[in-house]
Amino acid sequence: MIPLNKKAIIAFVTMLAITIYAGAYSSALSRSEIVHFWVAVPAGNVTSPMVARGAGPPINLAPISIDLDRRGVLKNWLSPDIEAISTHWIYNVGKRPVKVQMELVNCSIPVKWEVNANFEYNPDNHTFTQPLMPGQSIPNLGIDWIFQIPAYYMDERVIYDGGLMIKDANTGALLTFIPIKIVRGGGETSGGASCCS
Amino acid sequence: MLFMRAKATLIKNRWRYLSLLVGFLLFVAPFALLTRAVYYLMGNVAQPTLHTICLRMPIDWIFGAPYRLAGSVMAAFVIVVLVTSIFFGPIFCGWLCPVGAVSEGISRALPIPDRFRLQIRDTKVTVGLRYGFLLGFIAVAVLVGYSIASSQFSSICCRYCASSVLQNLTDALFGNPSAIEYWHSGSILSLVGWLVVGGLFMAGGRGWCLFFCPLGALSSLAHRVGARLGFYRVDFDPKRCLDCKKCSESGPQGICPVWAIKEDRTVERTLCINCKECVNLCQSGAYSFRRGWNGAKQAA
Repeated sequence: MIPLNKKAIIAFVTMLAITIYAGAYSSALSRSEIVHFWVAVPAGNVTSPMVARGAGPPINLAPISIDLDRRGVLKNWLSPDIEAISTHWIYNVGKRPVKVQMELVNCSIPVKWEVNANFEYNPDNHTFTQPLMPGQSIPNLGIDWIFQIPAYYMDERVIYDGGLMIKDANTGALLTFIPIKIVRGGGETSGGASCCS
Repeated sequence: MLFMRAKATLIKNRWRYLSLLVGFLLFVAPFALLTRAVYYLMGNVAQPTLHTICLRMPIDWIFGAPYRLAGSVMAAFVIVVLVTSIFFGPIFCGWLCPVGAVSEGISRALPIPDRFRLQIRDTKVTVGLRYGFLLGFIAVAVLVGYSIASSQFSSICCRYCASSVLQNLTDALFGNPSAIEYWHSGSILSLVGWLVVGGLFMAGGRGWCLFFCPLGALSSLAHRVGARLGFYRVDFDPKRCLDCKKCSESGPQGICPVWAIKEDRTVERTLCINCKECVNLCQSGAYSFRRGWNGAKQAA
C-alpha cells in the first residue's frame, strides 16, 4: 500500500473536486456549444420534448434552441462566429424500412456537413442510400453541422430559425422534423444530450 | 552540453521513439493503418480516425453504461490495453499512444529552460492528483450513466478530448485546413491542457497522461497488480546505484517522463509507463526490466 500523506490527500480531493466541476461545466456547455441530439424516425414534428417509442429503444427528442451568449468565455473570445450541432444517433422506430434523407430547412447561413458512418451515404443530396431497418440505428454515425455565421448576423437576435427535416428518400414523406433555433440572448437553451451516452 | 545529453537520450531510446511514430501511423488518420485494417476486415465503410479507438468512452461505459461495451471496437481496444498492462505494463502509454507521444515530443524538442517547467517531486502528490481525477471521472460517469444527476452533469470524456484536438490538427496538417475551424470551450481547454501546460511546460511532457487520462491511470493500476504477480516491470537495485541523481532530473534530457521515480529511487508503479528510459540511461545499471517472482512483492 502507498503510505498516505497530507499533501497527497489534499491533491486527491482537489483533483476530484476539479473533475466533478468539469462534469458540471460540461453539462452547461453541452446546451450551447456543439449541441448533441438524438433523432428517431418517424417521430413527426417535434414541437416539445418527447419520447419516441416503437421498434428499438425509446429515444428522447426535443427541439433545439441555442443561445450563443450562454457559451463559454473561451469560445466567445476565440471562436464566436462558428457554431455546430451534432448527432451520433438516428434510429428507425417505425415498422418499415426507410431511406433517410436530411435537409436543413430555412437556412440562409453557410453550413458545412461532416458525415461519417458505416452506412452508404450520398453527400450531394444528404441521403443514406441504404435502407434503415425497423429497430436499427445507423452504425458508427457522426454528423456535424457547422454553422459559419457571417459577421453581420452576429448582431441579430435570431440567427437561425429552421430545423432538421428528415424524409424518406423513396417516397418523399416527412418522417421527423426537429426545430432548431440559434439566438443571441434570452437564455433559451434546450435539446442537449451527453455526447458519450 | 544540453544538446549532447538530449542527443544521447534520443539515441539510447530510439526504439521507443520509433515505436511512438508507428503508434501515430497506426491510429491517427489519414493513416490509421491498424483501425483501417480492422474496419476493412469487418466490412465497415466508415472512415477510421483516432476516435475509432477512443481512449475514454469505453471507460465511461464500464462505470455508467456497461450495456454499450458489447460488440464495440473501442471497448475491445481498451480491454486489450488494460489486459496487456497486467503482463507487460502500460506499454500502450509508453510505446504507442499518439496523444502522449505528441505532447512528450513537443516537451523534449522545444528548448524551454527547465526553470519554466513544472515537475512535482513528491510522487505521492502526483499519484493523488492522478487518481483524484480517475475517481472524479468514474463519479461523473455513474451520475450521468444511471441518470442520478444527468441534468446537472454531462460526461467529461468527449467535451475535453485531446484525441479530437490531435486528430483535427493532423487533418489540418494533411490537407484539410477546415478541420481546425471549429473550436469549442472544451477543445480549447484540451489544447491548452494537453499541449501547452501538460506538454510544453511540464517536465517530460506527459501532464495530460498523468492527470487527465483515465486509461493511463487504470493501465498503471493494472501494472501495479501485474508487477505484484511477477510480470514485466522496471526494478531498482539500490546496491548498484551511484547516487548520481540523474534519474530525477527534469528537462529534455530528463529520464522519467512521468515522474515515477521516488525519492529513494524506486519506481512508483501507479505512475510508471514501462518506457524503459531509466533502464536505458542509468549508467550504473541500477534499473532493470524484468519479470519473475524475485523481488516482485518488494518492488510492487
